[in-house]
Amino acid sequence: MFMTTSPPIVEIEGVTKTFGQHRAVDDLSLSVPSGSIYGFIGPNGSGKTTTLRMIMRIYFPDPGAGKIRVLGMDDHAAATDRIGYLPEERGLYKKMKVRELLCFYAELKGCTTSKPEIADWLERLELSKWADKKIDTLSKGMAQKVQFISAVIHKPELVILDEPFSGLDPVNANVLRDAVLELRRSGTTVIFSTHDMRAAEELCDFVFMIFRGQKVLDGSLESIKNTYGKDTVRVQVEGNSFDLHHVTGVEAVTDFGHLQELRIAENTDTQQVLESLMKTGRVTHFELTRPSLHDIFVRIAGPEATEMQADASTQEPSRA
Amino acid sequence: MRKMIVVAVREYAAAVKTKAFLLMLLLMPIMMGGSVVVQILLKDKVDTRDKKFAVIDYSGVVYDTLAAEVEKRNDEGIFTKDEEHKQIKPRFLVERVDTTSAARAETAFAQSERVMDEEILAFIIIGPDVVTGDGLTKDSTIAYHSNSPTYDDFRRWASSTINAQIHGLRLAAAGLDIDAVAAATKPISVGNLNLLSKDESGTIKPAEPTNRAATFLVPMGMMMLMFMVVMVGATPLVNSTLEEKMQRIAEVLLGSIPPFQLMLGKLIGTVGVSLTIATLYLVGGFFALKQGGYAELFPAHVVWWFVLYVALAVLMYGSLFIAIGAAVTDIKESQNLMTPVMLLVVSPMFVWMSVLQEPTSQFSVIASLIPPATPMLMIIRQTVPPGIPLWQPLLGVALVLMTTLFFVFAAGRIFRAGILMQGRGAKPMELLGWVFRG
Repeated sequence: MFMTTSPPIVEIEGVTKTFGQHRAVDDLSLSVPSGSIYGFIGPNGSGKTTTLRMIMRIYFPDPGAGKIRVLGMDDHAAATDRIGYLPEERGLYKKMKVRELLCFYAELKGCTTSKPEIADWLERLELSKWADKKIDTLSKGMAQKVQFISAVIHKPELVILDEPFSGLDPVNANVLRDAVLELRRSGTTVIFSTHDMRAAEELCDFVFMIFRGQKVLDGSLESIKNTYGKDTVRVQVEGNSFDLHHVTGVEAVTDFGHLQELRIAENTDTQQVLESLMKTGRVTHFELTRPSLHDIFVRIAGPEATEMQADASTQEPSRA
Repeated sequence: MRKMIVVAVREYAAAVKTKAFLLMLLLMPIMMGGSVVVQILLKDKVDTRDKKFAVIDYSGVVYDTLAAEVEKRNDEGIFTKDEEHKQIKPRFLVERVDTTSAARAETAFAQSERVMDEEILAFIIIGPDVVTGDGLTKDSTIAYHSNSPTYDDFRRWASSTINAQIHGLRLAAAGLDIDAVAAATKPISVGNLNLLSKDESGTIKPAEPTNRAATFLVPMGMMMLMFMVVMVGATPLVNSTLEEKMQRIAEVLLGSIPPFQLMLGKLIGTVGVSLTIATLYLVGGFFALKQGGYAELFPAHVVWWFVLYVALAVLMYGSLFIAIGAAVTDIKESQNLMTPVMLLVVSPMFVWMSVLQEPTSQFSVIASLIPPATPMLMIIRQTVPPGIPLWQPLLGVALVLMTTLFFVFAAGRIFRAGILMQGRGAKPMELLGWVFRG
């Protein structure tokens, strides 16, 4: 378990960022402990990428509206070379060869002796055969792994990954997941934004959720789940054709196909819920649990997260 | 600075290390000089089939001489002068039309029909009073009728031949000796010479004839080379910036380097590309001239100015091209913004001939001090002997430098605001807002 006493590597204090009339980030404060994996979650357009870009100094906070300290520096321009960045949209020169491109990105970060590291990373991510091929000959997954290498090739102290797993098949997602964990083991701090709640639960020491530009969750996964208590029941009912919304004491139902997640109203006796369920069919699974991160997300973001819900519902059955 | 150089090196390598670049290096001179070369090669490739004409001679005194001259030309004037004696021009065949059997209009109409039926190519009507008349009335003129107005060889040949004959007839009628008149009216050419100078011993040297190549072709060539180098080097910046924007490469780059430095890096790389092209062509041009024995035509005295102008022109125009690439979201949109910039780039083309003919005129001085036109027009003025006062190119460079700094500053602001903007291109008023409000 990660120690929360680690010094912060990123400190954001009361930062606001406005585009025209739209306030993308509103009075945001945040502290990312050094050596942690810090997950940014939130619906589309909630301000995740804007916050990450401000940490990268691609965007700047509104004048006088808060400050950002990275690696202990207020004006962290000099720290840019100690940060790795994987943007949400992948940016690779299509006509450059893989090794050539990685050398270029490494040199931009001030790393001039990167060739052994490039060979090592290509080997680890199973791309050695493609080292001298042009980017436009790579598959999407391969290109994404190349982009990941470009973000870490200069051995940064802080790595910012914006949606690193989107569009990856499970095998490649696992390869990248292992690489992220290895970065943490070597002392690198990782901030990553994701819509994949499962990945956030599995990888993150801390989770931060932003909604309509404002912080709505921030803390360890454990502490966040504890604040919501054990108000969730996962059930499997054979031959169930009964609408579980009508069960007394059930506030909300998330249907994962062969598994349903019920949110129970406060002061409801779960035994009564079980009894009601048994009347509808044979109950093969009944588990009292804390809400999943996915459920917490949906509770906060509500209908605005429908697009993300659809994504998540296609992923959840595989873990049930 | 180091990061700027890294970007510049990549930009340079991306442009130079391609087959397209090598191909362009070879093709560009062919395209530029190709039409001239083709014209020269095809000079003798004309249609040598016989061309037949009818002559309606109402004067009664022209046809016989004309027919004799035609014979003479067909025997001597349509072949090369060398041993090969190859026919390079068509034979003219003329036939006399009976002028007594029909009215004039009928006769002319009948010949028109023959032209339509392709029996003859054209016909000439010689008025009855061409020798004695004043050339103002219909009867004292000559008319050439054809259905192929672009073919003018016979008309020109017949005009000079018939006129020479009529002059002779008129002189004879006036009792003048033709040879004496010809000798008296022979034109005297006015020589085109440089100034006189003294050699080391103080003896005045005779003036050299003006070299047409040095005064016309070389300055024109220098300007064309600069135009080509700037166009080939700088215009791809629109696409490369657009690629970085739309492929989201810019965001990765901006995670490492501030936008202004990124833009300067791209510009420096492009200056490198343009100077590479310029150097290759200048060196190639020098050796080609040397090989042909014309080494003295190489304008060595303005080469460094040329290099400076190329660098400034690429920075000046290149910054605008980068700004366009950053402001739009696709090639089609970029065309709209390209038009005013391209007008600026080609503006010297509208006036270069006047500047070349009178490089020291007030117009030339002012035109060459207007910054967007300075590189191309000033190099013309400096290349034409004997050159211009030094303050003029120095002032020109200072003005171009100031303009370039403003363009780079403005483009930097547009680049910073536009490079991460997706979905739609910027409107002109938006661009001005970015430039002046930051």
